[in-house]
Amino acid sequence: MQEFYSGLAEILEVEPETITPDFKLDEEQWDSMAIISCVALIDEVYGQLVSGSALVECKIVADIQNLVSKSA
Amino acid sequence: MSKSSVKGVTIQGVTCAVPRKQLDNQSFLDRFDEKTIADVAKLTGVLSRHVAEPGQTAGDLCFAAAEKLLADLQWAPESVDALIFVSQTPDQRMPATACILHGRLGLSPQCQAFDVGLGCSGYVYGTWLVAALMAAGLKRVLLLAGDTSTQMLDPDDRGTAMLFGDAGSATAFEYDEHAPQTYFDLGTDGTGAQLLTVPAGGYRLCGPVSPRDNTLHMDGSAVFGFTISTVPVLIKNVLEQASLTISDINIFALHQANRFILQHIVKKLKIPADALPINIEQFGNTSSASIPLLFCTNAADQMKSAPTTLLMAGFGVGLSWGAAVFKDVRLQCASVIEV
Repeated sequence: MQEFYSGLAEILEVEPETITPDFKLDEEQWDSMAIISCVALIDEVYGQLVSGSALVECKIVADIQNLVSKSA
Repeated sequence: MSKSSVKGVTIQGVTCAVPRKQLDNQSFLDRFDEKTIADVAKLTGVLSRHVAEPGQTAGDLCFAAAEKLLADLQWAPESVDALIFVSQTPDQRMPATACILHGRLGLSPQCQAFDVGLGCSGYVYGTWLVAALMAAGLKRVLLLAGDTSTQMLDPDDRGTAMLFGDAGSATAFEYDEHAPQTYFDLGTDGTGAQLLTVPAGGYRLCGPVSPRDNTLHMDGSAVFGFTISTVPVLIKNVLEQASLTISDINIFALHQANRFILQHIVKKLKIPADALPINIEQFGNTSSASIPLLFCTNAADQMKSAPTTLLMAGFGVGLSWGAAVFKDVRLQCASVIEV
């Protein structure tokens, strides 16, 4: 989880400690480039492929985690 | 995926031609702010690209490359048995650009010439066709692959406007009965055909079309998902077919789609970074010309100086993909010219 959070912090250009399950993915940060980067991050950390269109729908970090556990 | 192998195919030399006109990322400041440009560059890795002048075609670039290649190899034009032109930006709707190039290069009436309409995977498909022609008895084949993708971009679409560059290439293949086996693995997923598309220009949309229909549309995240799910498996499969491992390959010549994808593949397959050259910062994504452009730049010294075990892989528009493994490649010439 730590690796995923720190990767996500890098993508969203925020401090790693600010990433929690409740962290809100606002539209400005959660753009197409962030989504592509997140697809790669999930593949790297969990070896899973999630679709970009599913990631677009995520509103908070916990939504991403749910996607990952669903495709596990 | 369709697997095959052919014996006796050698690559003798490669030449690439790029337009003289170069655009750096600062040239896009009239359309995008600095942060957007920096963000896109961080992901794609593109810092500069060569851009065709209006009316300068992929055929023109490939012609210049082929003319120099024939001269460098001292191949008489009449010794060429076939010319294959691979592009998604042909010179005209008809005739085939291969026929136009056949005339410009002064090739023999006994030389066959035809076009192949593929992009990112096109060079590998072209190489496979060369091998198939050689298995059928041909001795010398020219593969000309190039695109002027910048001519079909929407300048306001940040996902594509700064990604592509233009280039043409010419590769000379010769049959040698002593040459080792070459291995191919090719595939297609036509259900993804609309993920990368220029809607107009064919006969589906008749009559006047909107300017947007004449430009490239790309679903970046879907294409990215396709790439990271397909390419690592493709590479593993072709290696297995050739009974080789990652460490046996001197050069992984991968289509320069974007730097982020290439770095992801490096990490995922644990490829030594120096075995997978990246030149996208200088040329952008040059579609069907990106693999031969690697042979003429980052990989040129290696491929000219010592027998090289080469893995090439192209993937993208179609969706279409292909990989090939060549053993003992030794180029007589590899250079880039500006035209």
